[in-house]
Amino acid sequence: MQIAKRALFAVAVIGLAARPASAQIDLSGIWAPIMHEDQAERAPGPEIGDYAGLPITDAARSRGLTWDASLLTMPEHQCQPHPSTYGFRGVGNLRIWVDQDPQTQQVMSINTQIQWMEQRRKIWMDGRPHPPEYAAHTWQGFSTGHWEGDVLVVQTDHLKAGWIRRNGLPLSDKAGMEDRFIRHGDLMTHISMVYDPFYTSEPVVKTNGFRLGLANRLDPYPCESVTEVVRAKGAVPSHLPGTNKAIEEYAAKYNMPVAAAAGGADTALPEFAAKLKTMPVPAKAK
Amino acid sequence: MRKFAVVTGLIALSAAGLGAQSASTEIKSLHVQGNVWMLVGPVSNAVIQIGDDGVLVVDAMMEQQADAMVAEIKRLAGPNRIIRYLINTHVHLDHTGGNEKVAGAGRTIVAGNFAGQVAADSPATIIAHENVLNRMSAPTGKQASRATAAWPSDTFFDEEKDIFFNGEGIQLIHIPAAHTDGDVMVYFRKSDVIAAGDLYVNNTFPIVSIAEGGNYKGSVAALNRMIDIAIPRDKEEGGTWIVPGHGRLADEADVVDYRDMATVIHDRFADAIKKGMTLEQVKNARLVQDYGRWASDTGFWTTDKFVEAVYASLKPEPPKAPAAKTPAKPAAGGKK
Amino acid sequence: MKRLTSATLKGSLYAAILTTATLAAQQQAPAPAPPTPRAAAPIDLTGNWVSIVNEDWRWRMMTPPKGDYTSVPLNNAGRAEADKWTEAQDGSCQAYGAGALMRMPTRVRISWQDDHTLKVETDAGTQTRLLHIAPVGSAPVEPPAGAPRSLQGYTAASWEFAGRGGALAFGQGGGGGGGRGGRGGPAPLPKFGTLHAVTTNLNGGWLRKNGVPYSQDAVVTENWDRFKSPNGDEWFVVTTVVSDPKYLAQDFVTSSHFKKEADGSKWSPSSCK
Repeated sequence: MQIAKRALFAVAVIGLAARPASAQIDLSGIWAPIMHEDQAERAPGPEIGDYAGLPITDAARSRGLTWDASLLTMPEHQCQPHPSTYGFRGVGNLRIWVDQDPQTQQVMSINTQIQWMEQRRKIWMDGRPHPPEYAAHTWQGFSTGHWEGDVLVVQTDHLKAGWIRRNGLPLSDKAGMEDRFIRHGDLMTHISMVYDPFYTSEPVVKTNGFRLGLANRLDPYPCESVTEVVRAKGAVPSHLPGTNKAIEEYAAKYNMPVAAAAGGADTALPEFAAKLKTMPVPAKAK
Repeated sequence: MRKFAVVTGLIALSAAGLGAQSASTEIKSLHVQGNVWMLVGPVSNAVIQIGDDGVLVVDAMMEQQADAMVAEIKRLAGPNRIIRYLINTHVHLDHTGGNEKVAGAGRTIVAGNFAGQVAADSPATIIAHENVLNRMSAPTGKQASRATAAWPSDTFFDEEKDIFFNGEGIQLIHIPAAHTDGDVMVYFRKSDVIAAGDLYVNNTFPIVSIAEGGNYKGSVAALNRMIDIAIPRDKEEGGTWIVPGHGRLADEADVVDYRDMATVIHDRFADAIKKGMTLEQVKNARLVQDYGRWASDTGFWTTDKFVEAVYASLKPEPPKAPAAKTPAKPAAGGKK
Repeated sequence: MKRLTSATLKGSLYAAILTTATLAAQQQAPAPAPPTPRAAAPIDLTGNWVSIVNEDWRWRMMTPPKGDYTSVPLNNAGRAEADKWTEAQDGSCQAYGAGALMRMPTRVRISWQDDHTLKVETDAGTQTRLLHIAPVGSAPVEPPAGAPRSLQGYTAASWEFAGRGGALAFGQGGGGGGGRGGRGGPAPLPKFGTLHAVTTNLNGGWLRKNGVPYSQDAVVTENWDRFKSPNGDEWFVVTTVVSDPKYLAQDFVTSSHFKKEADGSKWSPSSCK
């Protein structure tokens, strides 16, 4: 009896060893954003009037020109974190960890936290449905994920109104995102595809890199609102239509045509590089 | 005062105007926080507070949804908790159409001097601002717009009315001349939830009924008042929850985004009016085209109606004609 | 409960051992020839693609001004070399080398030159890269002895299949599209994966059109991945790591994305000087 049992156990072990590994990869750890792309936009911040390369609609452009940076001094705006549609391009390390069911070891969620403003996001991996339309929206949205091979693919909706770029180009609360996490060794490429029925003419696709570090850390990031600028009650800083020349000023500063700075899907295509050379460039302000 | 015929349609809010939506009786519910639940109907939202004292309801949806609403309240509250109060945030039928049935499903609390005068089976108390009663009722001899059973039984006329129910203070905050002239928002202090009525909606531009005493400036003021009350939990999320009259559950950041939009539009219109632009010119200038998220060409509140309401709210009143001079009476006994 | 007899146990044991032996025998039998890299490809990179330049726009769509090296982790030697650039050099083919070609605003045409070589052509600068892909389970293809250095260098590539995080030996099916090898033959290869490519043998070039340098000792490592966007568009992203201790303080990492086009009708070659 004992010999038979041991033999059967041995067969089971051999059998298990012959089974192939499942196609998933561990994304856990603390990842540092690699700022070798769009560093100026992502770190210190984009210039006002720079919409080049982005597939924005006329409505988005108008909202961008309405926006006044002073809005960020308002107490109710000061502690707003980046929504998940932007946060992965921002500053601050990214921590990824997994929650597993203690009994079954099934992965219930993959979680991310980005240091700046403690952007905390839960990606449900257990197949649960998205909430109903009348449920609350959050900065990170409601995310569900699945694996395609070794790539984590995530669908997100129920987002708060946010931004395509933090110089006033908006995203509505009807925006959605599909993002992908692709790990190659200690490098991870994050792809975000953000779409908005009002403000993007096609998905805004961005790709940027992260590097895993064993010594990386994630510090807390508390925020407290204060009165920075004394204003009349209810005043919201903005520019009236036709009064904001930011696009022209940006274009003049960098010797580019206004049409380039104004953005739109065609400004991202290679043929636009040739067009650039034929377009007039506004004179710099004296 | 110029009358804008299109906005008077709000008075006669009807099933025909809302189409097939209003016929549906599906009611969904969502626990918001503390004692407070949000009820989501096909046309509008309501709020209920449940506790050992009973049930307090904010808004009664349309009559077509009232039975389903009462059923859902009973399901959530259990058989022993009775509807004691129904608060109307304003007069419109999509929030008061179910008054009779919802209040009728409850019982008022009768005690003290009135115990002998009020029937033991009197419906739940309907509380609203006085202007709601004024619009539902009519002077003697005239036809009231609503049946007596739907009228508020307890009204107030100043800025605020406070009650304490189910272990928390509840503030009924009146915002004059906003969505209408009889709006209240209801703030559950311990549950930390605001039932905003139509002072805040997030599926359309702000709804303003000029003909019922509303004004866009008041609508913006109401949003600012909500922002003053609300305190987010962390990073501008959560904390105080706001249930809109129409649309999804919201918090301060959502109201801020909406308020910002409303204020920018206010400023654009004010500037256009200052420049002497007519309504037609303002419409052609498409001053709200970049806020398409809230735009609508169909339904009872279209973008066109919104533009007209904002213009009407901000356009200065024409100067009043000076009073005609009456000739002086000759002094008694005076010479001719 | 039925009692296990000695005979039953022996029979079970023999059957189990026989099954295991059969499996082992199958694994030790002479393997059929591995599929060619073309046949084994877990992703299809062929077709016509267009770069979508919505990152580093004014450093890619335009020639940046002299001295603007934003985002590039140059060391002192690199900065000194970059400072030598003059506007008269604008348009030089030095900017179209393997270190930065995929960062150019360009259309890309990818096709199989043969079963082992993926040809990548760009209309910007009219450049051609050849990616020499090793058979599954084989070592990377080395450049021929004495091969001259060039702008595009020599690229040794391999398929990385999902489930292993690295090169897969033939016969080791992954979990993505395959499963256990059965009695009929080796496990099918997964249909998820990456093209991993390493380029050496370069003669140096520029990371930007304004003369930001990489040296001939640079190693360019790339990972090519495919994906689809929510509106159904097909894409690939190439993550490029340029390692160059001579001019860079750290590896320079960029990721460039390309959208598939229906055909090559917008192909518009432009030369470099």
